[in-house]
Amino acid sequence: MEDLLKDLAQAKPPSPEVDRDRMERDLARITALPQERPVRKQLVRRFAPLLVIGVVIVLAVVLLPAPPQPVQPASPQKWWHELTRQRSLMIVGDPAAPYGVYFDSKTDRWLAANQQVTVIQKDGEVRAFPLTRDGNTWENAGSPATVPQVGGNHLVRIGPMKPAVQKTAVSGFQMSLHSQARFDSLDSLPAEPRELRKALETIVGNDAYRIGSLAMELISANVRDDQRRAAFELIKTLDGARFLGDVTVLDERRGIGVAIAAPATFQFSDVETQLVVDPQTGLPIVKKDVITTSQFGLPAQMPISEVDYLLLEQVGFEPIVPQDVPVNGEVESPIIER
Amino acid sequence: MEDFATVYRECYPRVLAYAASHAGPRLAEDITSETFTIAWRKAGQMPSNALPWLLGIARNLVRAAHRQTTTYELTDFPADDDFAVIELRAALSSLSEADQEVLTLIAWHGLAAAEAAQVLGCTTATFFVRLHRARRRLQAALWTPKFDSARESWKTS
Repeated sequence: MEDLLKDLAQAKPPSPEVDRDRMERDLARITALPQERPVRKQLVRRFAPLLVIGVVIVLAVVLLPAPPQPVQPASPQKWWHELTRQRSLMIVGDPAAPYGVYFDSKTDRWLAANQQVTVIQKDGEVRAFPLTRDGNTWENAGSPATVPQVGGNHLVRIGPMKPAVQKTAVSGFQMSLHSQARFDSLDSLPAEPRELRKALETIVGNDAYRIGSLAMELISANVRDDQRRAAFELIKTLDGARFLGDVTVLDERRGIGVAIAAPATFQFSDVETQLVVDPQTGLPIVKKDVITTSQFGLPAQMPISEVDYLLLEQVGFEPIVPQDVPVNGEVESPIIER
Repeated sequence: MEDFATVYRECYPRVLAYAASHAGPRLAEDITSETFTIAWRKAGQMPSNALPWLLGIARNLVRAAHRQTTTYELTDFPADDDFAVIELRAALSSLSEADQEVLTLIAWHGLAAAEAAQVLGCTTATFFVRLHRARRRLQAALWTPKFDSARESWKTS
């Protein structure tokens, strides 16, 4: 397969000759043109009247007396449904001639007060890939079914993953699957960044990365929009945090991003966690850990793990789980003992 | 201004090559010029590694040019290419535009996967999946009877 790309490179059509005169003429013409002014100022100027009207409408709505609430019939249990896609990579094989593996799977998570249902390793697969264009390949290594981690003590099983269903009764609202953080109530969490930080510190201590991680988890949870915005603002104020501004992700979706330094993994150092949220809703679009320096032949800014948020919604029906998978059965992880 | 001129002179040949391979040599210079005009206007957004960003702009202009014309310009290839090369190009052109783009960004324009992903506006992981599938389809296209019979007729003519 790798040879195919090399063959294709041989079939490259000849590059056109650069017309130096035209190139320099164009440069002179282009640099004589005006440049765009910062978008923010233009937007503020353009939408200022609309903003004033909006504020007046909001004030009128807020100050009007609320109508009496109609009596609602008993409604079914509300669940917060998250469908995410997780991808991560790991360096495997002979440390002198390593290659990479990709873990790619989906997680369906249904969360309600005191309970959660999770389908993990859905549509999951582990695939091998060369680290560079001319790098070593899994095929060159004889296509082994399991491959050793570089710098780790486990093996990685190549191929499809088996889905598993987990139902647990927890007290309050548990954050992500691997997090120990739980809240008795999400509604009572502060919607002001400094107050929210104090609340999160009581759970994970005064550690910028752990506070940031928990705030990121809150952003994907069933919280109010103002709490979600406060969590994002909180992350921006953490030590070493970097506001990424407007970014394009996932097939040209646009969002605003923030990055915080992350601890090294057993294989990668110089890692940062980046979160991109939808500026309209505040809901997350993607969270990824990227390396900030080139490592193992992988370029800087390469994601080593990534969560794409495919669905985040409140639903009034019971969780949908695969029928042929035993609930709370054994999980066949692709990472196994040597 | 100096920074922009440096990036311009450094990236111009590669943007031109990209435009030529996707829109033909006749439109390539105009697309390249327009790419840098847009880049100049948005210079505040230009990342330090500017090439993928520039190719992303060029890609949008190529698409716009395709929408405006009903026929694509044919690229002239040297007549002395051997059959394997001709066959490979034919197999490539039988693939979807998206597959061709993924493969040529790596094989012809020499981008790393992360850079190519940036051009296409997708994640690197998504790019790897697309690349893997595109390679598989290119391989399959090379093995179809169409190409076997073409190879035979080439030998006997």
